[in-house]
Amino acid sequence: MESGSSSDRWLALFFLAFSILIVLVWIPLDTETGLVEKVRRKFVIGDALAPTITGAIITLGAIMIWLRPSQGHTITRKNVIWILQLLAIFAISLMIMRYMGPIVAMGFEGGYRPLRATPPWNYIGFLVGGTVMIGGLIATASRRISIRGFAIGFATSLIIALLYDMPFDDLLLPPNGDV
Amino acid sequence: MVFGGFLLGITVGATPGLAGPMAMAISLPILISVFGFSNDALLPVLGFLIGIMKGATVGGAVPAILFNTPGTPDAYMTTLDGYPMAQKGEAKRALRIAHFSSASGDTFSDIVLVVCAPFLAILVERYLDLPEKTALLILSLAFIASVIGGSVGKGVISMGLGLLAAMIATGEDFYPRLTMGQSSLAEGIPIAAAVLGVLILGEVFKSLEDLHRTTQSNTMSQVASGQSSALSHNDLRRLLPYIGRSALIGTCIGALPGIGSTLAATLGYTTAKRHYVTAKPDNAPDFGEGAPEGIAATEAANSSVSGANLIPVLSLGIPGNAAAVFLILAMDSIGGFNPGPSVFRLGGGIGDSVMNPEMVMVFGIFTAMFLANALNWTIGGIFMRLVGVMARIPKNRLLPIILFLTLTAIYVQETSMFAIWITIFFGLLGYVMRRVGMSPLPFVIAFILAGNLEATARQAFAATGADPFFLLKSPIAFIFIALAIFVVAYNLRRPLS
Repeated sequence: MESGSSSDRWLALFFLAFSILIVLVWIPLDTETGLVEKVRRKFVIGDALAPTITGAIITLGAIMIWLRPSQGHTITRKNVIWILQLLAIFAISLMIMRYMGPIVAMGFEGGYRPLRATPPWNYIGFLVGGTVMIGGLIATASRRISIRGFAIGFATSLIIALLYDMPFDDLLLPPNGDV
Repeated sequence: MVFGGFLLGITVGATPGLAGPMAMAISLPILISVFGFSNDALLPVLGFLIGIMKGATVGGAVPAILFNTPGTPDAYMTTLDGYPMAQKGEAKRALRIAHFSSASGDTFSDIVLVVCAPFLAILVERYLDLPEKTALLILSLAFIASVIGGSVGKGVISMGLGLLAAMIATGEDFYPRLTMGQSSLAEGIPIAAAVLGVLILGEVFKSLEDLHRTTQSNTMSQVASGQSSALSHNDLRRLLPYIGRSALIGTCIGALPGIGSTLAATLGYTTAKRHYVTAKPDNAPDFGEGAPEGIAATEAANSSVSGANLIPVLSLGIPGNAAAVFLILAMDSIGGFNPGPSVFRLGGGIGDSVMNPEMVMVFGIFTAMFLANALNWTIGGIFMRLVGVMARIPKNRLLPIILFLTLTAIYVQETSMFAIWITIFFGLLGYVMRRVGMSPLPFVIAFILAGNLEATARQAFAATGADPFFLLKSPIAFIFIALAIFVVAYNLRRPLS
């Protein structure tokens, strides 16, 4: 068996296990009505029917992949490392975005919340987090950390912040709806 | 609005790595912020999105001809003859041919839309009851899952995942199903987060990784534009049969849900190539060596998809491709317009003398499409020749900006960091799907249609007195279900690509 088709067989097994998990564990534990319910002496479709059919569809797809595996597509270790790199950039930049404003405003009475719709406070987390996210992604894609990448990140974040914040009073930039 | 969208569309189309749906995705939340959620907002928002959709197809030819890099995937075939023409110093002529063919195909497709969509809707409304409508939705999903991508099994799984994601926190019981007790999921998965995550972020993650792996140089060399070269009557007479054939192919393909403009362009090009062998003038270049007919066939085919793909959207409420997904998303977000056969009803519901406001809206959309056509014919060609510079923007800088803009747009709409994480999750899903050779489009279309499918099935079950075989009792529904099985079985037998 060639490596490409072997990876498709693994994919089929994964989705087969996933669909069994959906139908036998997730749906029974996480829906309150069955496949079909009797309500006021009439039969109606319950909330579990559609997800169960969906689970069956995924099983069918997995069987089709198993029977006719294609070649050339697979997730490699390099892809997993790439995903982890992306997740690290998102975790760091979104954490900075979320907490930068409250940290800077710690010395003020009432903290960040009363200031979250007031410039320049409402820009702090967005600008710093956005700069880190864009700069980090540019650095990762081009395998080189550069001041220019972070400068592009800052300029872009500033333009987007102004684009949303200047004309629309009722819009909140991230993370100001959560603080 | 159509003008603004059209110019943005050409610019985006001319930028390799960006595509019409990306620009539509980013524009939508901004447009909704500007125009709000009232009925009056629908037409300007849809006008802008239609402008982008049409402009992007035209713009895709620019870098294909000037830089040998298709701006959009459906312009790949344009590189085969466009770039050789540009190398011979005929870049301007090649751009003119691309523009003329594109505008012709687009106009033809729009005329077919205006003529066919109401008739199809009337047929659906007259002959299809609830079981038949359920069966039609199943057939559409089966068709989309089978024909997109190289593997039917992967298409079916992609569709299944889309249905499953849409079922989270929906249903009729008080308890939001499949939420695992998470209160943050109790409102369901935001449609924009799932669609933008899988379609836009997934593509950005994959493209960034490709750049990371290849560390390719992003600089491109532009060939000389050459002398201005207008198309003569003789040229047009030679090109018109190729444009006509491709416009017909593109329109037929565009009207089928799930088959995109890339396949239309490929079919248009290969059909034209077969005819060219017999009709080739002496001393004329072969296909692939700078034949103007190659550009004309490709551009007419991919542009004629844009009008026809609104036929299933407006008459059945079924999106056929990514651009149509964003039009449905706009209609869904703003409300007041439910695409489907009922939009072509004459009466307004209050009284027979009142015009159906949804039908008025549809004709507004048609007008927007013809306005975009008029712009394409008048200023499209001039603007096309100006945006060649866009292909010089390095993708490794552009893609992170697109990603950040998308995440900001999601937050502005949902006002929750959780929505951003959900979008990233679906982005990773889209990335994995692309890496294992699974098309994300069946996922997106199934996600959009799932609610409608379940609701119609519930109503059909109740209306037929809880008949478990309601999909097989009516002859039309039975034919649709048999066709769905046939489509899957037939595509399962074709060679894997």
